[in-house]
Amino acid sequence: MRVRFWGTRGSLPVAQQAGAIQAKIAKALVAASGRAFADEAQATAFAAANLDFATFGAYGGATSCVEIEGGDGAFVICDMGSGLREFGLDAFRRIGLGHSRDYHFFLSHLHWDHIMGFPFFGPAFDGGATITIHSGHPDAETALRRQQDEISFPVPFDWLRAKFTFVTHTPGETFQAAGLTVSLATQHHSHDSYGWRFEDAAGKTVIYSTDSEHKLDNMESEKAFETFFRGADLAICDTMYSLGDTVSLKQDWGHSSNVVAVDLCRAAGARRLALFHHEPAYADEDIQRMHAETIRYEELVRADRPPLEVICAYDGLEVEV
Amino acid sequence: MSEFDWQLREAGGRLVGEPRGRVDEATWERFSETLVAAVRQAAATGAELVVDLSGLDYMSSRGLRVLTIAKREAGEAVPISLAAPNPQMREILQISRYDKLFTVVDSVDAAS
Repeated sequence: MRVRFWGTRGSLPVAQQAGAIQAKIAKALVAASGRAFADEAQATAFAAANLDFATFGAYGGATSCVEIEGGDGAFVICDMGSGLREFGLDAFRRIGLGHSRDYHFFLSHLHWDHIMGFPFFGPAFDGGATITIHSGHPDAETALRRQQDEISFPVPFDWLRAKFTFVTHTPGETFQAAGLTVSLATQHHSHDSYGWRFEDAAGKTVIYSTDSEHKLDNMESEKAFETFFRGADLAICDTMYSLGDTVSLKQDWGHSSNVVAVDLCRAAGARRLALFHHEPAYADEDIQRMHAETIRYEELVRADRPPLEVICAYDGLEVEV
Repeated sequence: MSEFDWQLREAGGRLVGEPRGRVDEATWERFSETLVAAVRQAAATGAELVVDLSGLDYMSSRGLRVLTIAKREAGEAVPISLAAPNPQMREILQISRYDKLFTVVDSVDAAS
């Protein structure tokens, strides 16, 4: 399986302002320390070897959209955040190379940041495309149609040319879609959210669990999540806030923390955790620090158990599973 | 196998709880029972509660959340402070930002 992150930011799309880019350039120049480079390739090689990700790269600002490859050749996409626009453009490119025009979407929930990319999803206008939208919410179609209404957008849903099918699933149910074995679990979030578990024919497993608060006073429910996460090769988890925030100011905001994600993955025997749904107020350096702290936390509580690899999702990241 | 032990003593009009070992998914329930009982005892006697972390190897998020449960149980009536964390525990408190939620002091004697 291959997982491709098109949008990793939580709640609201963000874009870097000039000052952030200027700070990165200034840091790079200081790191170069007067060196001369023959061309951009040489400069790029130096930067890649000597600069941290927050300086040489960027985590990106598109909201939740994650693609999973490895089923029967159809596109598989989790959520329709603003990253969906970029995915749609790339889908056209791949269709030009012979890719299937079948799409299977899996929605965590219907809040704006998770569906706002749909009006800009080019393949929805492709009369030869078939789009199946899987959700735990029976009102998924209502949410997408309402978003296209004239008060919000000039193109009504009924003008879209693709063949749409909406499928509502029941938590605990296991079904086949796009060549994958799929199940879902209810998560604590306003109007509920759903985590998704995908297994391919070889048994490789990816968990997509965003916008999920693990309540302080209901630690028993975490045993159900440990089962849902069991043996995952990659668990993509909502790590928007610190644990301290989720039990104080941001309690009941429907999100989780990096340390709870580590503990859940460890208890479930997961192999790799992807930090996801980044706080929109965080600069790249803040996200990088959170990533480093999470790696350190995993080391501190590992004891005699096998290590859990902690990666930090960013827009454009591809992960082989 | 995770191990956990707990002692409670009185010192200078304060209650001092002494968890030892690890607090993780295997031991958090014992930590919760003992800590909440200590909070209630402190409330009944009007004492402050100091949690002496010096014997603790580490505490995972489950243990940290137990601290929050205890703090809510304590309300305004029982001040709770965390004393003498080892370097690992100090890092965990910082990473989780629990050092912003609790008073953390270097020794039991330093807890006011």
